[in-house]
Formats: sequence, structure tokens, C-alpha cells
Amino acid sequence: MSFWETFHIWLAAFLTVAVFSFLYKDNPIYKAVEHIFAGITAGYYVALYLDTVVYQQLWVPVTQDHHWTLIVPGILGILIFGRLWPKLTWLARFGLAFIMGSTAGVFLASELHGKVLGQIAGTMQVQQVGGSPNYVLTAIVMVGLLSTLIYFYFSKPHTGVLGVTASVGIWFIMISFGAHFGYTVMGRVSLLIGRVYFLYNDWLGTLH
Amino acid sequence: MNAWTKISQLDRRWVYLAVWIAVIIPLVFPARFPISITPEARQLYNAVEALPESSVVLLTFDVYPNALAETEPMARAALHHLFRKNIKVVTLTTIPLGGPSIAERVTREFATLYHKTYGVDFVNLGYKPNYASVLKGLSTSIEAIYPTDNSGTPLKQLPLMQKVKSYADMKFIFVVTDNGIIDYWISIVNAQYNIPVGAGVTAVMAPKQYAYVGSGQLTGLLGGMKGAAEYEELVGKPALATTGMGIQSLVHFLLIALIGLGNLGYFLGRRRKEGTA
Repeated sequence: MSFWETFHIWLAAFLTVAVFSFLYKDNPIYKAVEHIFAGITAGYYVALYLDTVVYQQLWVPVTQDHHWTLIVPGILGILIFGRLWPKLTWLARFGLAFIMGSTAGVFLASELHGKVLGQIAGTMQVQQVGGSPNYVLTAIVMVGLLSTLIYFYFSKPHTGVLGVTASVGIWFIMISFGAHFGYTVMGRVSLLIGRVYFLYNDWLGTLH
Repeated sequence: MNAWTKISQLDRRWVYLAVWIAVIIPLVFPARFPISITPEARQLYNAVEALPESSVVLLTFDVYPNALAETEPMARAALHHLFRKNIKVVTLTTIPLGGPSIAERVTREFATLYHKTYGVDFVNLGYKPNYASVLKGLSTSIEAIYPTDNSGTPLKQLPLMQKVKSYADMKFIFVVTDNGIIDYWISIVNAQYNIPVGAGVTAVMAPKQYAYVGSGQLTGLLGGMKGAAEYEELVGKPALATTGMGIQSLVHFLLIALIGLGNLGYFLGRRRKEGTA
């Protein structure tokens, strides 16, 4: 292992231990590492967007390939910086209007086609388990969907049949929260395992 | 102050220490726990297994470095499977922070292991900003979005990219991600261009993705470290995720015990308080 590889591992190990030190109590080393992380991330993103957007997608196509039309989005982008001066804030609206319009145009169709219709179709079909239809699961999905939707229907008081159905919906929502919580615990433990594995295997490994 | 009250008021740093010890012990004394394969993981494995030799798969590294413990084992197991089957692999990322370098490091390592040649058997396209434009643009021309690969080599000079011009030349998309980009691989790419998409996602994201598997919009799913361990098991290459599941089991036992103790302490303490009132 080269000197620089070893140095990187020791630096990463120091930063990891510094972050974990917060678990004991807040301290200046943790705060310093937190600020270093925020600063490096901001710096990295500025440099990255200058390279991948301004240079690669504006400067090179305009100066080398003479795609003059790209000057228009370039100007719209510059106008957004008008927000830095109170008297020129209004200029930013042109760029933002274009971003909002194009984003709505791109996502309207995909959200409707890919999510809303796709999920409605998925709910209406008979559920499959191991390649064969399962009518019990289909019934559970239908009851769960309808009762959960009714729970979020607030135009009438939740009394009588509506109230009972909404109560069933609460149970489905709670089970869903439980599944999310269980998976979240597993996810967080995984991250801890990753860091401890790094300290034990990579960092202590350099000591052998 | 009785014992139950003491437990319910325990300094949380003792809990951190207990969790730390529970993670360390299985690392020092590894124990292999049986890993059950979920239908969603098997479905993903079967979809890749059914691909003909030399077909092209897009493997995405839409990952930040902070969730690598979950996502990297998935990507590694996927590369074992893809390269072993002699499938051509094109990688890209929509994440600037870490994604390109992780893709480069992992694919190069596995290419060496399976004697694969860059440009012929695999290509790393790297990162481009604005994921919506990238995902839509790849449907018409990969070269228009990525004139060069991650290292700056023009795609014209890469033999594999002469055959792969758009999604139409790909058989499958294997998304490894730790963020909401999976929604757009489904709603933009799968829904609009009808390419089968399989996913490996972090545990936090997994519950939502089951709805997409149920509707057939996702062809298989790996959820968190457990999903990664399942894929390692399926490809017969147990690695970090398999080791990690032994640790997970011990930590989960500890957490269940702590939750049980905490609740018991709370209820017994409350009963005692009501009795004295």
C-alpha cells in the first residue's frame, strides 16, 4: 500500500472517529469536522457545476461547435443571479419561469403515466404469489387501499360505516409505518456496520 | 428510585456502547446466519439470468458515498452476475458526489477479475447533470447526452458504444440507488420506453418500492443490506453484506430487548406511581 493510500485511510479514520465522538458529547473536534464536510461539499458542487454545466454544456458547444442558440439558456441562467441584488430580483423570474414550465412539462406526463396510472392498474389486477393468482392477497390489497383512502376523506365526519372503515385504514397505515420503521432501523445499522467495518478492516488493517 | 425507573432513565450513551459492542463482536468472531431469499430478489436474479449472452445491461451507480455499506455490495454482486454471464455492461450515474468514482473503482476491479476489456465489454459513461434530461435524452441518442465517457474518451472510439445507441439497444436496466431517482427510472424510462427495470435500493427506500414490484413496474427488488446479502447468496459470492447480516441479527436482538426493557420500565414505573398516589 502506497503512502498516499495509507494517508487517506488514516484521514478517513480520524474523521469517522471525530464524527462518532458526538455520541459521547458535543466537542470542538466534531464541530470542526462538520464544518470541513459542509465546506468541501459546497466547494465540490461549485467546481462540478462549473465544469459539467457551464463549461461542457455551454462554453464548449458555443465556442467550438457554434451552437449559438445555447446563448439563450445561458442568459436565462445569468439572470437568476439577479436575486443577489434587490433591485434586479425581478430578472430572475424569467429563468425561474422557464425552469418551472419545462419541469412541469417533463414530469406531468411521466408522473401520470408512470405512477398514477401504473399504480391504479397494479391495484386492480389479481395479485400474484409465486406466479399463481392469490385472491386473499388481492382482497387484502383492495381493503387496505380503500380503507386508507377513506381515512384521508375529510369532507364528512368519520362516523358510522365511514368511521369503521377509516379505523381499518388506520391499522393499515400503522402496519405500513411499522414496516418503514423496521427497514429504517436496518438501514441505519447498516451504515454503522459500514463505518465500523472500515475502522476494523481497513484502518486497523494498516497497523498489521 | 427503583430498578425499573433507573432503566427507563438510563443514559443513552450506555445504549450506544452496547450497540457498538454488538457490532464489534461478530466482526471479530464472524458467525454465518442463514439468509432466506425473498421472491423479489429471486425475480431480479432470474431476470438477469434469463438475458442472452452479449446482451447489454445498463447498471446505474446512483449512489452517494454515505450509503455505500448498503449499495456497494449490491453493485458488486450484480457485476459478479453480469460479467460471469458475459453480458456487456454500460454504467452511468446521476449523482455527482461519489457516483462516478465509485462506478469507476468497482467496475475496473471486477473487469480485472473477469478479464474484461474496457470499451469492448464495459463502458463507464460517468455523470451528467439534470437527471430528467439525461433519462429522457438516452432514449434518442446516448452520444448526444454523453459525447465522451467518464475519462473523456469520445464514444466514437469505443466499440461497444457503436452498437449501443439508445435504450432500444439495452435489454435490462439494473438501478442501484440510495435516493428518489428510482422513481424516475420507473416513471420516465420503464413507463415510456418499456425497458425492464430492476432495482437495488437502501432499506429506508425499500417499503415504497414493493408497490412498484407488485404492479410489475419493477422487475425485482433488493432492499438494503438484506437484499444485497440475498443477491450475494444467489450469485454464490458471499461478501460484506452476508457478514453484515450476522451483525444485523445481533443488533436487532439487542434493540428488541432494549425496547422491551424500556417499555416494561415505563409501565411498571407508572403503575407504582399510580399505586402511591
